[in-house]
Amino acid sequence: MPSHEYLVEMRGIVKRFPGVLANDHVDFDLKRGEVHALLGENGAGKTTLMNILYGLYRADEGEIYVRGKKVKIRSPKDAIKLGIGMVHQNFRLIPTHTVIENIVLGLKEVGFILNSKKLEQEIRELASSYGWRIDPSAKVWQLSAGEKQQVELLKALYRRAEILILDEPTSVLTPQETRALFNAIRRMAEEGKGVIFITHKLDEVMQVSDRVTVMRKGRVVVTKNTSDTNPAELANYMVGRPVIFTLQRKPMSPGKEVLRLKDVYAMSDKGVLALKGINLRIRKNEILGIAGVAGNGQIELAEVITGLRKVIKGKILINDVDATNKSPREIMELGVAYIPPENLRWGLVANLRVVDNLFLKAYRYPPYSNRVMINWKKIYDMADELIKKFEIVTPSKFTRTRALSGGNLQRLVLARELSGIIGGGVPDLIVAAYPTKGLDVAATEFVRKTLLRYREMGSGILLISEDLEEILMLSDRIGVIFDGRIVGEFKAEEADIERIGLLMAGAKVEAA
Amino acid sequence: MARYSFLGITVERRMTYSRIASILTTVIAIGLAFAAVAGILTAMRLDTYRAFGVILAVFITPRLLLQAILRGLPIILATLGLAIAFRMNFWNIGAEGQIYWGMIAATGVVLAHVYYGYLPDLLVLPTMLIASFIAGGVWCLIPAILKAKLNVNEILTTLMMNYIAALFVDYLIYGPWRDPHGYGFPLSIPFPSYAKLIFVAGNPSYTGLLLSIILAAIVYVIFRFTKLGFELRVIGENLDAARYAGITIPRVLMLGALLSGGLAGLGGLSIVSGIIGRLRPRASPGYGYTAIIVAWLAALNPWLIIPAGIFFGGLLVAGESLQATLKIPNAAVQILQGIIFLFIILGEFLKRYKISFGGGRGVR
Repeated sequence: MPSHEYLVEMRGIVKRFPGVLANDHVDFDLKRGEVHALLGENGAGKTTLMNILYGLYRADEGEIYVRGKKVKIRSPKDAIKLGIGMVHQNFRLIPTHTVIENIVLGLKEVGFILNSKKLEQEIRELASSYGWRIDPSAKVWQLSAGEKQQVELLKALYRRAEILILDEPTSVLTPQETRALFNAIRRMAEEGKGVIFITHKLDEVMQVSDRVTVMRKGRVVVTKNTSDTNPAELANYMVGRPVIFTLQRKPMSPGKEVLRLKDVYAMSDKGVLALKGINLRIRKNEILGIAGVAGNGQIELAEVITGLRKVIKGKILINDVDATNKSPREIMELGVAYIPPENLRWGLVANLRVVDNLFLKAYRYPPYSNRVMINWKKIYDMADELIKKFEIVTPSKFTRTRALSGGNLQRLVLARELSGIIGGGVPDLIVAAYPTKGLDVAATEFVRKTLLRYREMGSGILLISEDLEEILMLSDRIGVIFDGRIVGEFKAEEADIERIGLLMAGAKVEAA
Repeated sequence: MARYSFLGITVERRMTYSRIASILTTVIAIGLAFAAVAGILTAMRLDTYRAFGVILAVFITPRLLLQAILRGLPIILATLGLAIAFRMNFWNIGAEGQIYWGMIAATGVVLAHVYYGYLPDLLVLPTMLIASFIAGGVWCLIPAILKAKLNVNEILTTLMMNYIAALFVDYLIYGPWRDPHGYGFPLSIPFPSYAKLIFVAGNPSYTGLLLSIILAAIVYVIFRFTKLGFELRVIGENLDAARYAGITIPRVLMLGALLSGGLAGLGGLSIVSGIIGRLRPRASPGYGYTAIIVAWLAALNPWLIIPAGIFFGGLLVAGESLQATLKIPNAAVQILQGIIFLFIILGEFLKRYKISFGGGRGVR
């Protein structure tokens, strides 16, 4: 009989998806008053395991005990009743509703008519006990990402959740917000709650957790007290081989200018101004990193440069040619490669074959086609070469693209954009938007190395990332974007992570 | 992964499904549709065995099979067109209207030649082919332009334009194009033989079959080997990726629509100069709508469209013989068609989603 020291015990959990064993006899437990980090690469099965605990998936085999009692969790409703709360990576809030409305949504005891005064008081108190200042009557769309996350947490806490699951909670936060979150998490543990913290970032594990469980390929590799381990060891468990953490960025003197933005304005999809007078320039052999919290104009910036979004004011020069509001194709033909965010949505056709996606742009140029017909023979020959050169792991070039893993999808995108099949030669400008987001360690390393290699071969690179570490590692210069403006620019060697963090959060930094 | 539960029924999206499963569901769908029709016929106290015997006879009697091919011809041509449109997710429901425009253009060429005649007779049929292709194509191009420029939903425009086309035919036949020597019947003059689709063995069925095969081959080549075919596919699968890849979407949309409507227009020509030999109101008993079903049944594969089209053509022939021999209303065949479509759609759903009742495999 398991003791009550454990809030959660999961025993021998198996979950199969067609073609994959997502969880292979996984054991996991959570003690009262601890922060338990669940560490692993993407696709290791962390989120699947937690979705089972939260009732979103049903396990094929295995048992779950909550507070020592064997339970069946059929739906999130059951999970909430057991005191389990989950904060997903993408928030599940209703933007047009207020904080209060979002928090009490679905609660029976609240009744049909909201007693706003009382609720507001309660929520305010609950929030301030974790050091959060949040206006309960604000509409959710007005909140920052960090505040939205607080609302999600409040939602769970208000339902008296004792078992909190946080799925990669820091991916949308600034360093300051992350620190505030960690304080709140520690606070929750002190109150006797249990927190499960899903992540693939080693430093976060070291900072916030008491214990850590590492998963790889659906299995638990190890569970250890955090104080008994170190990042290098954890990384080893995670990927099954030692990882090189630092990449060498050779000093280079930048060449001629390849991109210049002059006072560029553009709208977001929602029709509000997303870019408010962007000025920047990139030269050959140079990486400009754009740091910022997601949603401050980064995607719009990438899209105006690549021709996917209209510039409403200002000017864009690529290789000294006016490229303002040129079509994506014309810009591509000026020597611009684009590594889009969320490649399956924006840059790949999941139902087509690998070879089709490799030639999604180049199919229209000789020798791969003439005016009307495609020369598949030429394409197939070249595809084999690209698959080898960019280390794309795929059963064949005719495999449906959706069958590839995230890392291989990104390798496919790199092969298409950088290999020179479009126009030949090295691209003059590479726009890389979140190029390593969601990738495992090996693929991340591959992408970063590739970008550095192309920098040496003469490309100018615009690197948009929310991973500050990545930006510091790769960039020659760093620009901070906030609310559609570049609010600060640093040379890499003068970059100060504190100041960048403050700028990302929109603080006005006094001139030193 | 999408998963929905309601009343103890859980629906989960399948990640993969095999080609065999795909063929099997189609076969089962058709089988179930026949079973359902058998049930209806039995409930109506009609002789189900004899009725099915009549239907079967259509496909094994050479004379009737040739009829089936002929009646399938407009369906095949229109479906080839739809395959192009559906491939790029352009939901052309307007094959019926495009068929009518094909008929109008073909008849127009014949009338112009008969009354003003400046073409050699030999060139009349080629001119009709071109004219009906263009007429059907332009009728489909209009909604494509509206979609490309103004983002107007093509389902509505193509559907509504069907009525305009059909009513315009009525106007022509009750008005200026009525045969002056036709005792006041709403018919055009009969087509002279050089304007008929009988250049193979003097038989419209053989001619139609050859035409179907040639056009299916062309569509196949477009899909497999041309830039246009690749672009259609990319647009249909992921519009954002198409934009990203630099495909000029309006251009492909309009070109695809032109081809789609053009093929339906040829279907219209095949009615007036293959089946009927003249223009009359309601000359298409819904070939353009049947084509939608056939497109699904054949999974947009141009080669499969030919047998699938002949199958539905055969059902039309069967419907007429059922009416003649067993006094079963012609509507029975339409019911059969509708039920087949229903089951195919259902099969499509079952192919993509897994349904489980009660708890399913869970934590116990």
